[in-house]
Amino acid sequence: MAAQQLDPNESKYAASARNFRDNVKRDLGNQELRENFRGAMDYLVDKRKNAFPDGDELETLREQCKLIKQRCLLKLPHLLEQLEENLQANGIHVHWAETITDANDIIAQLIAAKNGKSVVKGKSMVSEETALNDYLEARDIECLESDMGEYIVQLAHQHPSHIIMPAIHQNKKQVADLFADNIDGFAHTTDVDALIGEGRRVLREKFCQADVGITGVNFAVAETGTLCLVENEGNGRMCTTVPDLHIAITGIEKVVEFLDDVPPLLSLLTRSATGQIISTYFNMISHPRQSGEKDGPEEVHLVLLDNGRSQAFADEELRQTLQCIRCGACMNHCPVYTRIGGHAYGTVYPGPIGKIVSPHMLGLEATNNLPTASSMCGACGEVCPVKIPIPKLLQRLRVESVKAKHNGEPVMKGEGSGRKSIEAAIWQVWSIMHKYAFIYKTSMWFATRLRKLMPNKIGVWTSVRTAPKLAPQTLHEKVQARQNQQQYKQLQGGK
Amino acid sequence: MSTNIKLQSNVAKSSILDKLKSQVKGADYSKLPAEPSYQYPQLSKEQQLAQFIGHLQANHAQVIQLEQAQIAETVSNELKDRGIKKLLYGTQAAHSAHMAELDADINTDISAEVFDFNLAGNKEKLFNDTPASITSSRAAIAATGSIVLWPTVTEPRSLSLVPPVHFVIVDAERLYATFATLIKEQQWQDKLPTNAILVSGPSKTADIQQTLAYGAHGPKELIVLLINS
Ligand code: SF4
Repeated sequence: MAAQQLDPNESKYAASARNFRDNVKRDLGNQELRENFRGAMDYLVDKRKNAFPDGDELETLREQCKLIKQRCLLKLPHLLEQLEENLQANGIHVHWAETITDANDIIAQLIAAKNGKSVVKGKSMVSEETALNDYLEARDIECLESDMGEYIVQLAHQHPSHIIMPAIHQNKKQVADLFADNIDGFAHTTDVDALIGEGRRVLREKFCQADVGITGVNFAVAETGTLCLVENEGNGRMCTTVPDLHIAITGIEKVVEFLDDVPPLLSLLTRSATGQIISTYFNMISHPRQSGEKDGPEEVHLVLLDNGRSQAFADEELRQTLQCIRCGACMNHCPVYTRIGGHAYGTVYPGPIGKIVSPHMLGLEATNNLPTASSMCGACGEVCPVKIPIPKLLQRLRVESVKAKHNGEPVMKGEGSGRKSIEAAIWQVWSIMHKYAFIYKTSMWFATRLRKLMPNKIGVWTSVRTAPKLAPQTLHEKVQARQNQQQYKQLQGGK
Repeated sequence: MSTNIKLQSNVAKSSILDKLKSQVKGADYSKLPAEPSYQYPQLSKEQQLAQFIGHLQANHAQVIQLEQAQIAETVSNELKDRGIKKLLYGTQAAHSAHMAELDADINTDISAEVFDFNLAGNKEKLFNDTPASITSSRAAIAATGSIVLWPTVTEPRSLSLVPPVHFVIVDAERLYATFATLIKEQQWQDKLPTNAILVSGPSKTADIQQTLAYGAHGPKELIVLLINS
C-alpha cells in the first residue's frame, strides 16, 4: 500500500486533489463536458445579473452580510454554545465532531440505535465532505440522494461538480441514458419534464419508506435554536418531515446570532446562487414532533463538524474563508472553473471557494496545486456576496504552500509542502540581485548581451506560446542614453 | 443514546471550543462596526399586493382573488377542472367548515377528508391516494411573493407538502412588505413552531440542463386563494 493511503482518516478527495494536473488534462479534452459547463455558467451569470438590478442595494447588502458573518465569527465559540443550549431546550440533540470519520461514526450510531436501514438525503455538501454515503453503505445502510441533481450524480457513481447544481456536467441526453441503464421500465426520452417525473416517481416511493432523513443546514440560528434549509424541490422538506429520524449535519461556521440576520443573508444567497429572489421553500426547523402533532420526526439531531475549520479560524486573514454561505457565485464567474469543470479539482468543493477551503480540510500537501490554478482575474472576489477577498487568500495560500521551515507554530497542515529547492534558490538569487545595484546592473548587462543564447523551447510555456526574447539593451541603459543625448542637445542649444 | 457517542462528542466539543476560544479571547464586541441596511422604497398596500401576486405568478403559482364565502365553490371548480375528486384538509381552520360543506354537497362528487390521523401508518394513503390538499397560512411577504405556513396539531406539515395540488388561503390583511419586517412585527424570536415554512411557488428544479421543471418532489401546482375584502 502506498504511504499516502495509510492514514484511514484521510479523505478520498485528498488523492484526487493530488492528481489535479492530470484531471485538468483529461477534462479539457472532453468537448461535451466543456459545452455543458459553458452553457450552464453563462446561464447562471445572466440569472444573477438580472437578480440585482439595483447596484446600490447589492453593495449595501454585501457590506451588511459581510459584517454579519464577521460578527458571528468573532463570537463563534459563544454562539455555538448558545446554539447548542437553545436547540437542546427545543428538544433537538447536538453532537460535535472534529473529523469526518467522527461525524460519520456518530451518524451511523444514531441510525443503528433506531434500527434504521434506509436513508433519504437532502442536498448536503458537508455530507459529501465526509463521504457519508460510502460510510453508511459499507455498514449495509442504503443511502439515497433525493435532490434531483444529487440523485443523477449518485446513479452515475460520481460526485457533484457544482455545489448548487450537482449534475451540471451532464446534459439531458446523458441523464436519459443514465436513467435507461438504471431504472427498470424507464421509456427513453430526453424530455426534461418526463425525466423529472421519473425521478419524482422513484424518489417518492423512497420518501414513503425511509427510516431516516439526512440533510445539511444553510443557517443555524443561535438565538432561537432553529435550523434553516433553502431549497426548491421539496426534497429537503420530505427528508425533514416524513421519516421518524432527522439528522442534520453542518460545518461549525454556519451559525448566525440572530433571527434578524437571516433575511439579508437569505436574499443574497438565493440571488447570488441562481438569480431567484427567494427559493421555493425556506424551511425553519425548531423542534422535533411535539405532543399531539401528527407528523414530523420523533427525533432531530444536529452534527456540528470542524474538519479543518478551526485551523482557518486561527488566522485572522484565513478566517474570512469561513464567511462563505456556499452560493456558488464564485465558481459561476470563474474563467478557470468554466473551462476545466468541477471534477478536475478533485475536491468536494470546486472552483474558487474550493481552492481556499479545501487546503484546510485536506491539508496543503494534497492541495497545493489548487491555489495556483487561478488567473487572478478577481471575478470571484467581486461577486462574492460576503466579500471574501478570494484572490488575496489564494496568494496567501501560495505563500503558505512554499513557506520555508520555521520554528514557530504552523499556520496550516502541510504548509511548506510545495517548496522546491530550485525555485527557492532562484528567488534567493533574484532577491540578492535586486538588493545590490552593482550585481543587478552587471548581471543585466550580461543577460542582454548573451540573449542569443536563450533557448527557443522553454518547457510547457513554448508549447502554446513563442519564447520571450530579451531586448538588446536594458531599459536602464536606454533611458541613460536618452538622457545623455538630451543633455548634449541642451549644451549645444545653450551655446 | 449510547454513552460512547456522548463521550466522543463531549471530547470533540471541548477541543473545538478551546481552539476557537483561544483565538478570540478578550474580543471587544463593543468595537464591532455598524452594519448598514438598505432602505427599500415604501410601497402602498395596493402596490405590495400587486408585487406579491406578480412574483407568485412569475413563479408559476395560480392566484385567485375571492371572498371567504366563495372558497368552497372555487375549490370545487378548480378540482373539477383537474378531474380530481378528493381533497384533504385540517381541522379547526377558518375554512374547515366550508370543506365539510363541500364534502356534504350532493351536487359535487368531491369527497373532502380531514387530516386527523397520524402520518405513521398512513404514509401510503397520503403519498398515493391524496391528489389535493388545502391549508391556511399565517402571513405573506410582498417583496418575494412568499406565503408563510405555520403547521399545527390541526394542520400537519405534510398536508402542504405531499399532495400534488396544494390550495393555500392567504389573507391580504396579513401581507407584510419584507421577511425582515414580518419577523420584527410578529416577534418570531419569542416563539417559533416545530416547523415554519416560506413557500413561493410550486416545487421545481432546474437540475437537468438548467431546464425548469415543476413538481420535483412537492406539489406540482400551488393555487393561492387570496382573500381580499
Ligand atoms: S466564496 Fe463567496 S461567492 Fe464563493 S460560494 Fe462562498 S459566498 Fe459564494
